[in-house]
Amino acid sequence: MTLNLCVLTPNRIVWDSEVKEIILSTNSGQIGVLPNHAPIATAVDIGILKIRLNNQWLTMALMGGFARIGNNEITILVNDAEKNSDIDPQEAQQTLEIAEANLRKAEGKRQTIEANLALRRARTRVEALNMI
Amino acid sequence: MTGSISTSWLLSSPPNSKSNAISKSISFPPRVRLSPRSPLPTTQIRAGIRELRERIDTVKNTQKITEAMKLVAAARVRRAQEAVINCRPFTETLVGILHSINQCAQSEDVDFPLSNVRPVKRVALVVVTGDKGLCGGFNNAVIKKANLRVDELKQRGVSCVVVSVGKKGNAYFSRRDDVEVDKCIEGGGVYPTAKEAQVIADDVFSLFVSEEVDKVELVYTKFVSLVKSDPVIHTLLPLSVKGESRDVNGECVDAMEDEMFRLTSKDGKLAVERTKVEVVERPEMISPLMQFEQDPVQILDAMMPLYLNSQILRALQESLASELASRMSAMSNATDNAVELKKSLTVAYNRERQAKITGELLEIVAGAEALRGT
Repeated sequence: MTLNLCVLTPNRIVWDSEVKEIILSTNSGQIGVLPNHAPIATAVDIGILKIRLNNQWLTMALMGGFARIGNNEITILVNDAEKNSDIDPQEAQQTLEIAEANLRKAEGKRQTIEANLALRRARTRVEALNMI
Repeated sequence: MTGSISTSWLLSSPPNSKSNAISKSISFPPRVRLSPRSPLPTTQIRAGIRELRERIDTVKNTQKITEAMKLVAAARVRRAQEAVINCRPFTETLVGILHSINQCAQSEDVDFPLSNVRPVKRVALVVVTGDKGLCGGFNNAVIKKANLRVDELKQRGVSCVVVSVGKKGNAYFSRRDDVEVDKCIEGGGVYPTAKEAQVIADDVFSLFVSEEVDKVELVYTKFVSLVKSDPVIHTLLPLSVKGESRDVNGECVDAMEDEMFRLTSKDGKLAVERTKVEVVERPEMISPLMQFEQDPVQILDAMMPLYLNSQILRALQESLASELASRMSAMSNATDNAVELKKSLTVAYNRERQAKITGELLEIVAGAEALRGT
């Protein structure tokens, strides 16, 4: 009995195959999903998704969204998703530094909101690389 | 030298039998008569032979370039359409879940920041234009529509701020002083991705949530067909909780009936086939036993940005498809014009060339006559 995972972003389908287990970061903490999980719907935070296929873990950086866990069918809808193999380490580090700098010089409510979001995303990407 | 050729041309009622053969080539239609096929203006193309030849070469090269650009645009239109199709699973799933959650959360009095309806004092217009030129009236049409809307809103006493996407729009709006520009966003690579949509969504989101604007409208070109594209204005924020896309008057303009275009070749020419894409009915999204991990409010809160992103991305992709389609037709017209120009240049060139040969022959014959006479 395996789980069927579907990760969708607005412009493409990132993942659509079977997995053994996933660990998802939600707004209220991390949840692990095994086959025959009870059906739930949850919001997904900007964070890491870990996928296990045959004792091998794969990490993916998710940029916030929604997940629906049904009858051994998981559908995750996110703004953007990147597999850790697709992220360039140097570029991710640079983006993180730029985001931090932007947050420091953000003024006003609006810029702070934007800068915060950008920082969280950059941080997630860097973490996805480090967590293998 | 040109002058002498023309005079000998005018005097060319064939003098003797030797030049009879030449007379046939000389006696084609006189200058002022317009041939039925090509509407040549009465002012002839007067230039030397060398210049004419150079012009013909230039026109030939230009024609090759415009033809190539047309084919490239045609290939890209197809891929842009496919990108729109790839969006579908996401949007469909999202809308389905939104519906179901709404039904579950009907009783609660929920208030989401993104579907907050406030009295409108300030509107943000997101204007989507292209990056490159040579696409006919595409960019101008969008900019004109945006201008009309700005004026309309100003008349009603609502102030406007513009977020411009695309180099052409950026250039235009940064030159205009009377329109307030909030941000100029450059388009990404060849195809719009979720990242670019995210940038715009972030901007719009923070504008709306921090209450700097009360309404956000999106001005983009809808891809109607290969020869027709319409600039339209859609209301982006506040979102309607049902998850339908609404235009300025509040009417539902959800694009559930899309057609996919395929460029095929028929009899050696490009032709367009249309197939209606069927909306796949997905099975029931949410089972009644489903538990919400968080508050339905929080969950809907997480889904609204997703919906916003997908709307923006879709607008970007449609805009790209219409830009490519109008580039295709503009380049096709340019190629046709180049062919016609080359034809008329070649006619003039041949005329000059033959006149020159005639002149030389006449001189030789006259010289020979003169020698024989003495």
